[in-house]
Amino acid sequence: MKFWRFFQGIGWRPVASYFFMLFLFFAILKLYAAQKISFAGAAAVTLPLAAGLAWVLYRRVIGPLNEIIAAAREIARGNLEREINITSRDEIGDLARSINDVAARLRVTIDEITAEKNRAQAILNSMADGVIAVDREARIIMVNPAAETMFGINQAGCSGKSLLEVIRNYDLDRTLHKVLAGNKPLTREIQIISPEPRIFHLHITPLNVGNQDGAVVLLRDVTERRRAEQMRSEFVANVSHELRTPLTSIRGFVETLLDSGTDDPEMTRHFLGIIASETGRLSKLVEELLYLSKVEERRVIHRWQRVEIGTLVDRVLAVCGNHAEEKEINIRANLPPRLPPLFGDPDMLAQVLINLMDNAIKYTPSGGTVTVSASVEEDEIRIDVADTGVGIPAESLPRIFERFYRVDKARSRELGGIGLGLAIVKHIIKGHGGRVEVKSAPGKGSVFSIFLPLENPSAPGGNDNA
Amino acid sequence: MGGRSAFERQLKEIQQDILRLGSLVEQAVYDSVQALTKLDVAMAAQVIMGDEVVDELCREIEDKCVMIIATQQPMARDLRVAVAAIKIVLSLERMGDHCVDIARATMCLSGHPLRVKPVQYIPEMAGIAQRMVKDSLDAYVSGDVEKAGDMCAMDDDVDFIFNRIFRELIGCIKEDPANAYQSAYLLYVSRYIERIADHATNIGEAVIYLVTGERRELN
Repeated sequence: MKFWRFFQGIGWRPVASYFFMLFLFFAILKLYAAQKISFAGAAAVTLPLAAGLAWVLYRRVIGPLNEIIAAAREIARGNLEREINITSRDEIGDLARSINDVAARLRVTIDEITAEKNRAQAILNSMADGVIAVDREARIIMVNPAAETMFGINQAGCSGKSLLEVIRNYDLDRTLHKVLAGNKPLTREIQIISPEPRIFHLHITPLNVGNQDGAVVLLRDVTERRRAEQMRSEFVANVSHELRTPLTSIRGFVETLLDSGTDDPEMTRHFLGIIASETGRLSKLVEELLYLSKVEERRVIHRWQRVEIGTLVDRVLAVCGNHAEEKEINIRANLPPRLPPLFGDPDMLAQVLINLMDNAIKYTPSGGTVTVSASVEEDEIRIDVADTGVGIPAESLPRIFERFYRVDKARSRELGGIGLGLAIVKHIIKGHGGRVEVKSAPGKGSVFSIFLPLENPSAPGGNDNA
Repeated sequence: MGGRSAFERQLKEIQQDILRLGSLVEQAVYDSVQALTKLDVAMAAQVIMGDEVVDELCREIEDKCVMIIATQQPMARDLRVAVAAIKIVLSLERMGDHCVDIARATMCLSGHPLRVKPVQYIPEMAGIAQRMVKDSLDAYVSGDVEKAGDMCAMDDDVDFIFNRIFRELIGCIKEDPANAYQSAYLLYVSRYIERIADHATNIGEAVIYLVTGERRELN
């Protein structure tokens, strides 16, 4: 059977033509040997025959083979769209079809790989963390867009460079080399000062793909989180300090009373008076702290309603009027007629104005003026509280809305301030979808401006408790 | 062939080491000024301790440069790489020392809030000096002669602020002798920062020498 296998795949036509040609040549040879034809005659028959044979051979075999070679070269160069147009039903045709199949299969595979790569790229691009891949020598292979914006670099400009050249940070470089040497992932927290100082949570994982060693550097910006943590601990420290001051004084006077007895009624009364005022201070502090924490969680704005500015201002003036009269300060309300209503919680908005008015009166010397005015600006209502007081130094302006921040601690405490009033104002107005601005000139006075949206801002947070 | 590529690798390694050293010094400049403005003693102590690593790395790089010059006898640019490296390392080492000086001053100043007004100019001046250190190292990484020149021009700003701080601090001392202690230390500090900026200029000059072979006086 081996013998037949040799012929498998060979069509009958090449075999038949082979034998036919052989027969023809033998016939001519025989005729020439028998001197039936001359040499020239034999040549005249054989040469056209050979030429014909060569032509057939060229058309059927060499031409198509050349085309196949050209196509194969082009495919090897990467043009998988190239197809070979040979449809003959012989071996050459089979070869052409096979090559077309290979190209098509390659095309599909490459499409699949490209899709896979694009998906991986899309995932990397959408990450908020910076990702940098490096090779064994710590040279950059890939940088994702988050890392590009973090460090103001670009993939094209830094690939092939060492990580140290691109992000000059000692801890980052040292951790990376440790990972590359030890082949174990490491996690650190590092500070990178350029382009701006930021704190990063760094995680480096070694990468072993085949024989291509390297590492993946993952950077998460934790600056805000650290800042928030710091603010929280500062807040706790401030609260403790504020609580301790009145407590120390209460404790001191109570101990004095316990030690020296209550024989002298006048002194006892005096001490008790101080204790009462300090207790009042403490409870006011605790109340305001609770109020602030409620406002900060924005849970209490559930009484959304129309608030007439005129009524609101009247109410506030009724509360602050006495205080102003005592200090001989003029209060002026400058409200244009037919103001549109505000939307919000009337008690909270009143609290905002009371806090602002209270501050204005507190920091304005006798004979000064505090003015409340309102106006409509585009799609906002603006309420100004202006005073002719001591003003706020420029360097303190950005901080006055912070909890417990006071321009002058001693004076503020003397005036009975706790340092929470403006923080409460800021959070209430924020809860109402508005903003607060302040302008001030030391020695001339300050203007606090509240901007509230004219339309009901669909009651943010108002639905929680509904 | 093998010798040549090993030599190139050594040069490359020296460059990487200088960047490593530069990153440490950059951080030290930043940290020492931060510690001063916040009067943070712990941070200042960290700067002082960190200088040991700087000195160690300096010695290492110097040894490598000497070794390369002795064993490879480099010519032309290769020689300049080694010579510039020694110059830059020297400048960086001095910068590191000035950071330690600032940290020491911070420790002396800590405990009392800073009362003298000119202290507000120090962060501004330090900001420019920091920028110069960063730019000088950037210029070294990219071999950017233009950047090195631009960076050196900033030294004038630093000198200008230094003179202003000097005048105002003297004024503070005259005004109230109780200010003398703080003023004196702040004078030291501003002098150190001014020196750091000068050393950054030296690095700029070394970069220009490394790339072009020219010696240019830039300040």
